[in-house]
Amino acid sequence: MERLPRGRHGLSPEFVAQNQRERLITGLTEVLHEVGYQKTTVSLIGQRAAVSKSDFYKHFESKDDCFYAAYESAIERIRARILAACGAHPESEWPPRVRDGIASMIALLASDPPLAGITLVEGLRAGRGVYDRYQAAVESFVPLIRTGAPVAPGGTEVPAATDEAVIGGIASLLGRRVLAGEVEQLDQLTPAVLEFALTPYLGTAEARRIISAG
Amino acid sequence: MKPTRPELPREFVAVHKQRRMIAAIAELSAEQGYEATKIADIVSRAGVARKTLYDNFDGKEDLFLSAFDLYFVEAKAAVESACEEAGEEWQARIEAGLAALLRFVAEQPAAARMCLVEALSATPRSSVSYDVALGAFVELLKASAPPNETLPKTIEESLVGGVAWILHQRIRSGQTQQISELLPELTRFLLSPYLGVTNSS
Repeated sequence: MERLPRGRHGLSPEFVAQNQRERLITGLTEVLHEVGYQKTTVSLIGQRAAVSKSDFYKHFESKDDCFYAAYESAIERIRARILAACGAHPESEWPPRVRDGIASMIALLASDPPLAGITLVEGLRAGRGVYDRYQAAVESFVPLIRTGAPVAPGGTEVPAATDEAVIGGIASLLGRRVLAGEVEQLDQLTPAVLEFALTPYLGTAEARRIISAG
Repeated sequence: MKPTRPELPREFVAVHKQRRMIAAIAELSAEQGYEATKIADIVSRAGVARKTLYDNFDGKEDLFLSAFDLYFVEAKAAVESACEEAGEEWQARIEAGLAALLRFVAEQPAAARMCLVEALSATPRSSVSYDVALGAFVELLKASAPPNETLPKTIEESLVGGVAWILHQRIRSGQTQQISELLPELTRFLLSPYLGVTNSS
């Protein structure tokens, strides 16, 4: 984390405040990854971010308040990465959009263990307020797979619960792997996750064709 | 000699009291959440003395984990026996097991909410219990699934995680009574990967 220069620096107060806030969010995410939710304290976050305790409380009311902000910022990073990958294909092309969206999400999580930790593990284990955000975040990814989803092989509509089950199943699998300390190997799961996600919509043969074309 | 109530065997009474405390924590944590549930609420709901609770359990968390284990074992047994009764055919076994799970949720809404919603975030140990339980259902699905060497090794884990998520969402939004309506959709979801690699359809 880059500190700002001390003393007279001509930076606007808004810039300094925004920069502090971002450092605190990054600080919490890293400390959380290292010591877990219970042992993450305002002091540790402040130390990591090089922000004083009194400045911490100018930005956040409490550790949980900072956690919520960090959680939301983490989810936004993931969503932005997915949308960028999906955006490489026109909206009519659901299979490659979903394939690249999921693959890019897993690549991002594998490359950033603190990000994977806060979103997939700590969000579930850090008490009610955080847990509600985990639940809302998982739900918020459902429309990404629902929009433009094809009719299943055989011409019958894919039931609505399938979209939720696919998203929930991916979050559950990735969370279990991160919890098992395999975050850096998440990448290896990409073909398996893609087959799980695409099969209900495309059937096994077509799902595999799309995956190997990726 | 003063008249007494017919005496029940001491062990019977003890087990019965344990069951009442377990039911009480399930109901209370389903109603108001684990955090807000106090020992005083539990003993009053169960109609036992505070001392009885501490004679049987180390405290609230221990009681919660014991309740989780009991309901998990019951749900797992219900699914296992439904699979057995369905016979040899894999599709029928998976559908019967899923139906038994949905029935458990509908018939025991407090237990289901405790195990599938509260346990995830109640305490660090309860989330470990949840993960272990999920793993046991993964093994049950594997035991009924058809030969599927070419499917991803993680397919059952993903499918069970998906079903657990749906149940979790429906319980949270108060749709426990309609849960059995999900059977056709969820059966199709569970079968779809296997149908792609077997000849039967």
